[in-house]
Amino acid sequence: MDAESGAVEGVSWQEPPPVRAEKKLIREAQQGSREAVADIYAAHWPRAHRAAYLVVHDAAAAEDIAQDAFLAAIDAIDRFDRRRPFAPWLHRIVVNRALDWARREALRRKAGEPEDQPEAETASTRIGDEMLAALKELPPEQRAVVVLRHLLGYTPGEIARMLELPRGTVNSRLRRALDRLRDLIEVQE
Amino acid sequence: MNEARLGELLREVPIPEAEAAERRGQALVTAAFAECAAGDRAPRHRASLPRLVLALAIASLLAALLLTPAGAAVRDWVDDVFTAGVRDAEPALTRIPGGGRLLVQSDAGPWVVKADGSRRLLGRYREATWSPRGLYVGTASGRTLSAVQPDGTPRWSLSPGGVVSVPRWSPSGFLIAFRAGDSLRVTAADGNEDVLLAGHTGALPPAWSARGLALLAYVDAGGVLRIADTESGATIWSAEALPGSTGMEWAPDDSALLEISPRTLRLREVELGKLIERVRLGPPRNVSLPQRADVVDAALSPDGNAIAVLLSLGGARTPRSAVIVTDPTGAPSRTLLRTPGRLSELAWSPDGSRLLIAWPEADQWLFVPTEARGRVRAIGDISRQFAPGTSGTASFPQVAGWCCRSP
Repeated sequence: MDAESGAVEGVSWQEPPPVRAEKKLIREAQQGSREAVADIYAAHWPRAHRAAYLVVHDAAAAEDIAQDAFLAAIDAIDRFDRRRPFAPWLHRIVVNRALDWARREALRRKAGEPEDQPEAETASTRIGDEMLAALKELPPEQRAVVVLRHLLGYTPGEIARMLELPRGTVNSRLRRALDRLRDLIEVQE
Repeated sequence: MNEARLGELLREVPIPEAEAAERRGQALVTAAFAECAAGDRAPRHRASLPRLVLALAIASLLAALLLTPAGAAVRDWVDDVFTAGVRDAEPALTRIPGGGRLLVQSDAGPWVVKADGSRRLLGRYREATWSPRGLYVGTASGRTLSAVQPDGTPRWSLSPGGVVSVPRWSPSGFLIAFRAGDSLRVTAADGNEDVLLAGHTGALPPAWSARGLALLAYVDAGGVLRIADTESGATIWSAEALPGSTGMEWAPDDSALLEISPRTLRLREVELGKLIERVRLGPPRNVSLPQRADVVDAALSPDGNAIAVLLSLGGARTPRSAVIVTDPTGAPSRTLLRTPGRLSELAWSPDGSRLLIAWPEADQWLFVPTEARGRVRAIGDISRQFAPGTSGTASFPQVAGWCCRSP
């Protein structure tokens, strides 16, 4: 199915593997196992891709961002400390890159340049997704904290470390974002 | 809306092409990991692919080849099949998909490839250009410009002084432009009346008016884009050229001029008066391109309604490429192909139905339908096909032109 026809594929959501299983997969990947890499990819791609998409609202850019994050992870897999969980490391890369992209895009729009992939936007409005439309009303910085908190389940303290922000800033962004989302979704309902 | 409900809504937002994106990402990550494993990482245990999985993969590939319906997306098929090149590429070019004849520049010289795949080496020429109907080939070698027949028979030669390069035959058939040293010259197509057009020019190949007018666009040594009337020798329009230009091309009806650089595609509308000395070009307009992408090659379709753009994505360690087809009027582009690795060039078939896309790392040419029907044909072992008898590594040839269907 393609974006041009407005068709959208089903939602896929897989829980990440338990910590012990993940450590084993990382160790096997460090030893050169392609199957382990494939399992890590399958477990983490849907969340990473979705997080990027919800921040940038552009399917092609989200794909590129998630791909780049995985490639960075593969590049550094040898040096990865197996005592640490994999997901926060990956999500930190994804969300920061998505934020960079969204900020650049905002600057481009301000400068009057056309958007890169208007078809992604067309697809989202065509399917009439209120959540996506409401999220788009938020600044990228607020979208990022909403995604980290309510999609990926990180605490405000963890988010503060991932985005290198004071915890108070994270809390205030979350509060403002939720207030705005409530207003927007209730108005639409 | 409580916070739990917010989480549910975020998980339910549909993502366009999510499954295809996941498959593409998996192919890319797998290829990148295999590359790392083969290079600086020395895995202690390399698990081999179980035979059953391999058999299933081959079966799925065959099923895809046999069952792909007309209208299926080309990009997914290709993405699923390759890692470093398309698996099971045809070993030899036995027919040119899309018809026409190819002019292919190899280390040994230019080859003419007929529609049935048969090919002939023209001689030890360094560059070549088709005449508009494919009756002749203009060639450059050392200080000599020549015209030869497609069977290799020489017709004439001239040596104007200076190393000859970038010969370009005009669409009218009557003129050939070329560089001799750093000067730009124009000769009649019978080898007579060779005249100097400009003393100091850049290395960029000049571009003839596509309608066959005697107008030639070129960039001078100072980076100025000039349109010259080659009959009078006068510059009739000029402006600053796109910095770092790697190519330029007129639209088939001369309504626009496309400038290409690694970062930008730029179009200028062309207004032609009844008298050609009244040419005027409009302000430049950039064609929208994806971010973080470098333009490797671009070409207008034969009908002028589309621009095919070959893009380089990703970093030096994990290069990726994409081919998009975009609309000169600014309508959204569509992606025709995404691959790991580097693609090097593209060329439209004369009827606009296909693109030839060169993939040197895989030693393949891909013939990709430009509409979402038909199948990609991959031809492998390209280097050796244009270097017969060579022992050792042969270099990958370049496509110098894809010409008209019949002479």
